[in-house]
Amino acid sequence: MRRRLSFVLAVVLAGSAALGQERFRKSPPVPDRLPELSLPKIDSIRLSNGLTVAVIYLKNCPFICAQLTILAGERDSPESLPGLAGFTAEMVSRGTPLVSASDIEERLEEIGGAFSATATLDYSRLSLVFLDEYLDRALETVSLMALRPDFSDKEVAGLRFTQRYEMLQEERNPEFIGRRQLLRVLFGNHPYRKGMFSQDVFRNIRRRDVLDFYQRFYRPNNAIVVLAGDLNLTAAARKVSRYFSTWREGEVLRQPTPPPAAIERERLCLVDLPRAKDATLFVGNLVFPIDDPDFFPFLVLNQALGGTPNSRLFMNLRESKEYAHFAFSEVDLYRSSGVFSIRARVIPSACYSAVQEILGEIDRIGREKVTTFELEQAKSYLIGNFPLQVGRLEAMTQRVSEIMTFSLGEAFWSKFYDSLMLVDADSVLGVGAKYLRSPSVVVIVGDKSALAEYLREFPRIEVYDVKGGLLYTMLKGVEE
Amino acid sequence: MSKKLLGAVVLLALAGGLGSPAAAAQDEPALPFPVTSYALKNGLRVILSEDDSLPIVSVVLAYRAGSLREQPGKTGLAYLLEHLMMFNGSLNVGPMQHIGYINRVGGEPNASTTAELTYFYETVPSNQLGLVLWLESDRMRTLEIDAAKAERWKQSLLDDLAQRTAAEPYLESSLAFDRLLFPEFMHHHGILGKEEDIRNLTPGDIADFYVGHYTPNNAVLVIAGDISLPRARELTDRYFETIPPGRDVPPPPAPRPPQKKSLVQMFPESLAPYPAFYLGYRVAPPYSADYYGLAVLDYFLLKGRTSRLTRRLIKKDKLAFFLDGGLEKRGDVAALKIFATSNTQSSADLCQKAILSEIGKLRLGPVPEEELDRAKNVLKRDYVGRFSSTLDRAMFLAEMYFSPVGLENAARELGRYLAVTPAGLQNVCIRYLMPENCIIMNVKMR
Repeated sequence: MRRRLSFVLAVVLAGSAALGQERFRKSPPVPDRLPELSLPKIDSIRLSNGLTVAVIYLKNCPFICAQLTILAGERDSPESLPGLAGFTAEMVSRGTPLVSASDIEERLEEIGGAFSATATLDYSRLSLVFLDEYLDRALETVSLMALRPDFSDKEVAGLRFTQRYEMLQEERNPEFIGRRQLLRVLFGNHPYRKGMFSQDVFRNIRRRDVLDFYQRFYRPNNAIVVLAGDLNLTAAARKVSRYFSTWREGEVLRQPTPPPAAIERERLCLVDLPRAKDATLFVGNLVFPIDDPDFFPFLVLNQALGGTPNSRLFMNLRESKEYAHFAFSEVDLYRSSGVFSIRARVIPSACYSAVQEILGEIDRIGREKVTTFELEQAKSYLIGNFPLQVGRLEAMTQRVSEIMTFSLGEAFWSKFYDSLMLVDADSVLGVGAKYLRSPSVVVIVGDKSALAEYLREFPRIEVYDVKGGLLYTMLKGVEE
Repeated sequence: MSKKLLGAVVLLALAGGLGSPAAAAQDEPALPFPVTSYALKNGLRVILSEDDSLPIVSVVLAYRAGSLREQPGKTGLAYLLEHLMMFNGSLNVGPMQHIGYINRVGGEPNASTTAELTYFYETVPSNQLGLVLWLESDRMRTLEIDAAKAERWKQSLLDDLAQRTAAEPYLESSLAFDRLLFPEFMHHHGILGKEEDIRNLTPGDIADFYVGHYTPNNAVLVIAGDISLPRARELTDRYFETIPPGRDVPPPPAPRPPQKKSLVQMFPESLAPYPAFYLGYRVAPPYSADYYGLAVLDYFLLKGRTSRLTRRLIKKDKLAFFLDGGLEKRGDVAALKIFATSNTQSSADLCQKAILSEIGKLRLGPVPEEELDRAKNVLKRDYVGRFSSTLDRAMFLAEMYFSPVGLENAARELGRYLAVTPAGLQNVCIRYLMPENCIIMNVKMR
């Protein structure tokens, strides 16, 4: 026993076995042979109207997942109407001139369907998971939604109310508020910033705006259908063609998006969330677009730094310093750029120290090689975790949709292991130095009056309200 | 397969391929995956389910150690033990190492506590099954309860409780409503525990609860995924068979039959941003004959976008902007609960009347077959979804094993839900959703 008996009570079911335990209990077993990973094949075809159809064959799967991706996201929303891409995706399921929104809902639930619509910064996605005996009915309903939406004033008004209410709920969540503020600062005036809207935007969206967005981007030659389930390409493509062949192709003009401007100075923002008990921290940097070859070494870097509880951030901020409830890092990649961010919930009194530790860890991983142990541990996690990532139907379908949307190729699918195996400590240091030596943006979400005494050590803080409005700037804890 | 193995393994014949020897059994429904089960000498039940579609395996070790087993003054013990066992270490595994070992191989560990059970579970690459069983067996054999670390975890739970109390505006009223609906302590106290109880828990309390509940004869071990049956048997024997059984764990006392008495109460909620109310009925025990009709009724009324109450209250009459609830089971008792929030008090009052009126209509006549079929298909989707990953499947099998249904009847369950008719739905409404059985709590903003 490692500690003094007076402090430790080891509760032992096995009684004397604690002293004379079997040898195999003392250390972890040697693993069996690493199993082969055989991922389902992706077959695809392009229909005559330009619609791309891909099929993932999953034997004996009781569900089918159908995802329709439209290559237009929040970056394509007009400057005056951020949020329009997501709003349009939601509106698509709200009725056609002949089939009401209620009837669409009934049709979906009659097939055991679970439908969702969302827009990311780059694309919009309609996703339907349903019982596998209903493929025809599912495609018929999705085609009705996607090809003949009505966008009635009544439904637009209803969705405005629902979206505002949902965002009001989100705006109580410090993680939502913190991430949104971080991305607003990182993206500056870049079109991606339009994805970081607040609930006010829904007041201004009208039927004609939704219709205009739809007409500009919802075209078969600007869309991809991915089906995953117990089906084959020929049969599935025939059925998709049957329901989507009347969808007319058209010219789609998307403005190219250059990478966002680099962050030139470190910025620290406080978002005031009255009554928040802890401080939620976000620290972030701009990185690279999704199809950049730096992806794999950076994935390993992220894992070593903050991917899981045995990574540096968690072990330092929570286990060693006891500043944080948790501390993790993640990478979100888009067509034109990417964001590396660290997320931690810390006790208020440790706010300043925790930020310094995080910045110190970012600096360290950009200057020093990860150890061989860390490198192997990170790669082992990523290789072992990959089949778990694709083990769920909707997640697998989404991954394949993204591979096709961004033309990512086999490196992200069947050659994922090979791509990771090539990563070494030098390449990890290389991407650390390349992307993490630039100034970081720090966002703290918390109750400003409760945090006030712990913020004096920061030289300059921009203070924002929950919606993101700048209230004032503090210099050494004093309002400017 | 060795002779010993053949002798000990009980093939449940639940699935095609594992054999359905008797002709009479051919019409029996089967789970859509194979299941094999056996017991170790110490009473640990092991359930195996093969699936080689991906090279991963999920392990669930479930103990009958939920909040139902806690005594007055000792609430929060099951939830605290879940955290201590996840993070604190055991004889051969240091603090945080359990998670570290699993993460290092790409696996995902987790745990959860319900009223009935505490689950520990991991999904890992299938060549790491031995590692998971080594880790799980170590924390079943021993648990290191470091007084300082136990204090730290108590504080963490208290922080969690404070955070949730601050962030969830209807948490207090929800607990108060549970006390009305489930009058007995064992059913109504929250899994998170009470603040004063958590503060007063001693290392002795923790040790007693651990020794009394986290034993092989009070657990089920489920392994689902890319496994070989002989290898899985060899590994479960090696790591678990020599762990001595614990004392028999007596079942919780039988619940008293609920009083048929309507009740309307008011609860002032300090954080409530909108007027709200709870409405509930104590209903038939879980998995009893009437339970299946009640489960379908839950879907008919509340689940999905086209459910009867969602349609009327949220979409048509716009009397509520949030509606939640469903059939909730806690050990041997169950209740149907509904919670709604409205913009104004008058809307909330009208909303409540509308719910009672809709329930009244259900008692008067059968519902349209088409509407019922839709509800059953949404239920079927959710039910089949419980088999959709190796982890979901392992959790499902663990729950079935401990339920009154048992593993041997699990395959018949879905059919029981889908067999509910409009007349059956009306019958359960008449039996359980009567005005004299209705409990209402109105939440007033302070």
